[in-house]
Amino acid sequence: MSFFHPLIPLVCCALGAAIAAAHGLTPINRLVPTRIYGWVVAAFPMAAFISLVGMADQLFQGQMKAIVFQQPWIPGLATDEGSGISFSIYLDGLSILFALLITGIGVLVTVYTGYYFSGTKTAWRFATYMCLFMVSMLGVVVAGDLILLFVFWEATSITSFLLIGYKGESEAARRGAFKSLFITGGGGIALLVGLLMISMITGTFSLGEVLTQGDVIQASPLYPWLLALVVLGCITKSAQVPFHTWLPDGMTAPTPASAYLHSATMVKAGIYLLARLHPSLGDSDLWFWSLTSIGAVTMVTGAWLGVRQTDLKALLAYSTVSQLGALVMLIGQKADIAFKALAVGILAHALYKSALFMLAGIVDHETGTRDLRKLGGLRAKMPRTAIVAMVAGLSMAGLPPMFGFLAKETMLAMVAHPSLPDVLVFLLSSAAVVAGALIFCQAAILVLGTFFGSSRDQETFDHAHDAPWGMLLAPLLPALLSLLIIIPVSTWPVELLGAAAQSVYGEKVKIDLSLWHGLNTALLLSIIAVSIGTTLFLARRRFIALQHRLDPGPVCNALYRGSILGIDGSSWLVTRVQNGYLRMYLLIMFVGLGIMVLVAGLPPLPTRLPPLRLDDGWVLVRVVAIALATAAAVSTVLLKRDLYAILALGASGLAVAVLFLLIPAPDVALVMIVVDILMLVILVLALVRFPKPQREGADELDYQETWLGKWRDGLVSAGVGLATALAMLFVLVTRPDPAGLGEIAWERESRVTDFFFAAAKPLTGAADVVGAILIDFRATDTYLEIMVFALAGAGVYTLLRFASPAAGDDATDAAPADLQANRGPGASFWPVAESPLTRLLALLILPLSLMLALAHVLFGHDQPGDGFTAGVVASLAVAFWYIILGYEGVHRTLPWLRPMNFVGGGLSLGIVVAIMGAIFNQNAFSPVNFALMLGITTPYGISLSTGLMFEVAIFLAVLGGATLVIDTLGHPRDRDTESDRQATLLPVLEARGDVTSPLEDEDEDDSHAASVARED
Amino acid sequence: MIVQTWSQHVVALPVAFPLAGCALTALVFRRNRRWQGLTAVAFMALGLISSTLLLGDVLISGEPRVFHLGGWPAPFGIALAGDLLGATMAFMCQIVLLGGVVYGVGCRDKCAQFPTFFPFFLALAAGLTGSMLTTDIFNLFVFAEVVVIAGTVLTAISDDRKGTEAAFKYFYISQFAAMALLVACGTLYAAYGTLNMADLARLIEQTPYHPLLPFAMVLLLVSFMIKSAVMPFHFWQPDFHTAAPTPVHAVLSSVVVKLGIYGFMRMTTLLFIEPEAKALIENTLIVCGCAGVIFGGLGAAGTYDAKRMLAYSTLGQLGFILVAVGWGTPLAMAAAIIFAFNHSLAKAAMLMLAGAVASRAPVKTAAFDRIVGLGRLRPVAGILFLFGGMALAGLPPTNGFISKLAVLQSGVEAGQWLPLAVLAAASIITLVYVARAFQTIWLKPIPEGVEPKPYGDQLLAPFALVAGCLALGLYAQPLVELAILNSQWMLESRQEYIDAVIGTMSEAQDRIQELSP
Repeated sequence: MSFFHPLIPLVCCALGAAIAAAHGLTPINRLVPTRIYGWVVAAFPMAAFISLVGMADQLFQGQMKAIVFQQPWIPGLATDEGSGISFSIYLDGLSILFALLITGIGVLVTVYTGYYFSGTKTAWRFATYMCLFMVSMLGVVVAGDLILLFVFWEATSITSFLLIGYKGESEAARRGAFKSLFITGGGGIALLVGLLMISMITGTFSLGEVLTQGDVIQASPLYPWLLALVVLGCITKSAQVPFHTWLPDGMTAPTPASAYLHSATMVKAGIYLLARLHPSLGDSDLWFWSLTSIGAVTMVTGAWLGVRQTDLKALLAYSTVSQLGALVMLIGQKADIAFKALAVGILAHALYKSALFMLAGIVDHETGTRDLRKLGGLRAKMPRTAIVAMVAGLSMAGLPPMFGFLAKETMLAMVAHPSLPDVLVFLLSSAAVVAGALIFCQAAILVLGTFFGSSRDQETFDHAHDAPWGMLLAPLLPALLSLLIIIPVSTWPVELLGAAAQSVYGEKVKIDLSLWHGLNTALLLSIIAVSIGTTLFLARRRFIALQHRLDPGPVCNALYRGSILGIDGSSWLVTRVQNGYLRMYLLIMFVGLGIMVLVAGLPPLPTRLPPLRLDDGWVLVRVVAIALATAAAVSTVLLKRDLYAILALGASGLAVAVLFLLIPAPDVALVMIVVDILMLVILVLALVRFPKPQREGADELDYQETWLGKWRDGLVSAGVGLATALAMLFVLVTRPDPAGLGEIAWERESRVTDFFFAAAKPLTGAADVVGAILIDFRATDTYLEIMVFALAGAGVYTLLRFASPAAGDDATDAAPADLQANRGPGASFWPVAESPLTRLLALLILPLSLMLALAHVLFGHDQPGDGFTAGVVASLAVAFWYIILGYEGVHRTLPWLRPMNFVGGGLSLGIVVAIMGAIFNQNAFSPVNFALMLGITTPYGISLSTGLMFEVAIFLAVLGGATLVIDTLGHPRDRDTESDRQATLLPVLEARGDVTSPLEDEDEDDSHAASVARED
Repeated sequence: MIVQTWSQHVVALPVAFPLAGCALTALVFRRNRRWQGLTAVAFMALGLISSTLLLGDVLISGEPRVFHLGGWPAPFGIALAGDLLGATMAFMCQIVLLGGVVYGVGCRDKCAQFPTFFPFFLALAAGLTGSMLTTDIFNLFVFAEVVVIAGTVLTAISDDRKGTEAAFKYFYISQFAAMALLVACGTLYAAYGTLNMADLARLIEQTPYHPLLPFAMVLLLVSFMIKSAVMPFHFWQPDFHTAAPTPVHAVLSSVVVKLGIYGFMRMTTLLFIEPEAKALIENTLIVCGCAGVIFGGLGAAGTYDAKRMLAYSTLGQLGFILVAVGWGTPLAMAAAIIFAFNHSLAKAAMLMLAGAVASRAPVKTAAFDRIVGLGRLRPVAGILFLFGGMALAGLPPTNGFISKLAVLQSGVEAGQWLPLAVLAAASIITLVYVARAFQTIWLKPIPEGVEPKPYGDQLLAPFALVAGCLALGLYAQPLVELAILNSQWMLESRQEYIDAVIGTMSEAQDRIQELSP
């Protein structure tokens, strides 16, 4: 056997999926009808089946326990012991049994699908999903790695979701699909955690090794938890009470999917996994009691609920639930006969149930309905179908000589096993008998109600006709097998079932397939069950009426609905928190910050105040500046008129600038002053654009706040402010000044200051340390800062000139020509008295300020002031021109003023500076002195260097950014339309009680969420 | 100045290319959108190439690449350092950023036609990449400001009328974050006299009980929490991300929010390794992460708009990463990296797909009731959305499963049962909203009377991203290994990072001697 042999089945099925998908290609789709294509695709699972038969033979002959294949997959995600996740295959008796069922029934279902969708051009999608499911399901049963198993496990959930929701137009199909995904997916998460726990305890992901470490796992304190999680995963998948509700709802899938996934294979994944892990998790009391109780309850519930169904598929679905319950119960047992019953039961159920499902599909297909109330007497119209149905129905009813009889007998023998406590024998026997009787009744209703008696709906009856042989072949084969498997033509079935039971039980289990075991308890119980079942069938009308009377309502469905409603309800609550009020957001954030600061530890109170210098003769100025800064800052909050508040803000800034000047920090003071003025100008210009009522409306808001709200907000702000102030105070007094520190002696000497002072002149040639820091040492910061500045300007420009609904002005750098229509040439935009004097002033100021800017750019490196100041000063003058001359006036007289080009040019020049450094010094952003390089002496201390270039770049970017803002604010068309729009919006905003409207629509449409949550 | 080799410049290239692209597209091609778009794509692609080179270089040499800008050695100048974490993060960001630019070129939004769209986008890219490569905390602040201003503008100009308001809120709250970060910078500088993170790390280790340190730490933490939209500092995020134009939303919600995650990793593994402080950060992350997981999941399940759903979903998914960072074990840190990487790809792809569907709606919107069944017009997008959704919900065979697996595994290993239970429960909620969205958009029939637009956004970028999701799901080992190397680097090679950036103590002294005139 070659190394890759174990992969063949998986590869075959995957190829099948690819071939099925190929039918979606138009030429193939036209050429080959769906019916024929079904046969083509079926060849691939057939190949898989044959290769599996070969492997099974080897397994039976050879002495090895399992066929193993192993390749590392994600070795990185390893356990402590270093064993990683691998792509491995573990094929033993149990796997082979399941794999044969999956591929075998897969072949039949694929052929059947072709007939079922005969004439439908888009069926390739369905066939592809089916083949993908086949790969996943096969993967589940052959995977030799816990995580790989889980991967395939989830893949079956997803393909099942797609198949159930195949008819997506139908509401029921979507709901069924969602429900199945929710329940099986939820169980999947639990399973994953459970499997991870197992791998942590055993130190391996390999299934083969996990199976040998049962005692280690069961000794772990985590055992109850991991058992619960794994069992939860399995019982959701295998539709055990109370999670069974997805299975009947999943019947909205096209019948081939129901026959394949929801009877024969996927729902048995849980059974498989429980059986698979039995050697390592099983045999404990917890295992016994949990599985026995869940299984027994499910067995009875499914049987009970199935009888009253009127839909053929729903009836079959409930009987499937019941059978799965029986299997789970069997896995829980400790005696060897249970595992014989398990193996026989799995095979028997898969055979007859898939046959019956496909028959139900045929009936549906050929009569147009599967409602039992409309069917009846079809024997006459569909004789072939009726015969096959009777054979399969006999097996379901558990009558001899069918395989189903054997399965039931073995199970009955188990529940009456002497190893069980007496009480349990009684309970389980009664449960099994009741379930057996009900299933018998179901089988009778199903077969007799459909094919015998008289027709209940003439139209349906007339419409009916028998199925083509090809379609009938699919149910015929499993039905015949249920009949023939007990005839001892070969030891093969016995060996297969024996091997399967052995891998679950761990020791050899004796299997014999003879029907007659003598007159024993099991036979007795069986006879009782059949007689009760017959009685029930004969009195079915009254019995079903009784059932309806006893019905407690959809209890388990309520569980599902409850959790969905819970999710939706809490979702609703959660989205309420996101209410759109910035005030509240900030409040929560500040409180959160406060709590975190308190938890982490507040900075200690400083032991002394920072010294106020009194000896330099500037005391009065300093005191006045501090007072002014404080008073102005407070006024910004208290002042009601926005214009005054802005002016106060400006005053506060200027006062701070004075303080900086006295430190002395002339660079900072200079920047502070120009930026302060620019900010004032922009704010005031922006204010002009707001319509008056809106500005007053904003004031009104202040009064609408309750006194409680005011106090709350005030306290929080004060708290945050105070904490910050304290921290800053501490920062101030712990400046290098050891005397003021008392005993605290931290190393606080700045590591960098000394270096800057010492190195500025010799290394960068800058006489001004601040200039050296800005242009050289931290040039990147400077570049990014001007970028932020320029981008902010470009942002205002883009927002108002392009994105504003009124803008409609798509021309970049709008040409003044197209504005002539709106306003007379030269008309001043802002209502400022235009006089010869103001014009003269404007004409004078611009050249002056440009000269000032030039000086700053040229000497910025050595003197206070730099390109930034230069840019702001120049843009202030430009702003003045806008005010005096108006938008068109400026554009006419200053054609060189292209702010976007300045921005782009400035930013590009900055990059060029960096590149220069790289070219000449092999150090991007390093200073290059061209004058020195070329041997030129420059006059007046002007340096011809990258420093100068960088200053120019800063100047351009800042001028561009600031001018963009002013230009945008001055654009006449914007102003009018913008104001109009806002004026119309105002009443709406006022009605909401806030200028910032909440984004979350109050009447948001929850209909979608609700529609999925609603249940029948 | 110190002498540096050309290969050291590689560190600067991932930042330099988008920066240059931003400057250039702002200067030329403003009226020719096609050329502007292609230039942007070209520069972004160059950025991605260089960050790939950087990552490869770091992986091969096993040590960080450090570039002292202008030749001024840290801590005097600003140094960019491509250590394994930074390089990985930059690489991750640039993959998605390139996807975003490509999507922007094929995007039919009005705002994507504006002449300043691409400059802003590239500025965002440069800012984000720079934040992850810089070693200077003030430089980080400035890079983050570039991200904020670019993000604000890009959202404010969105076709969505709510964009301006959302941008205003974001800007306001970001100023709070900026203030916190700035005060933190100031406080740290006052306490330790340096702004370089490597230098700070060494000094903090020497004197870990400075009275100002807890204050600075909390401010730093809060500013990163705002950046990554961590509960309860997340309020800006759902509104802001929903209103952003699709290509911008795709990068905002996937990689820009990872800036804070990066910050947390630096905090717990570089700056604050003293057990008490570290525990405080980690516990905060776990608690806030769990809250975010629940809040984001429920919010996503309860909202009415596909893009908003995905925005909320980001809150939830970030929670997973936060919890993993909070656990802090080697496996958990690796899981955090894996999760961050995979989430970036999947979330960006999902948003692009949602946006592409929305672009077919008669009036552009992603509200569920307006895009019912519109996916039927684009079955390919449906397949992509399905896989992307699976990645988001953590289902195999996508990369999302690998992330979820890694996080849960690290949780099991760490024995953190309560957070683990929260994460597991939240995974189910993820399943709920993804499945609902898929059914609404792709399975439901188109209501009568709806006339979709004949064209929509191009699907190239989401196609590539989903292909990446699948590839990393089927063959996860390379990413897992990269993440494990990252985790080892973070947890074990702290000193190497410090030495690489500022040199050993004596080297630093020598450097000062050598430079001082």
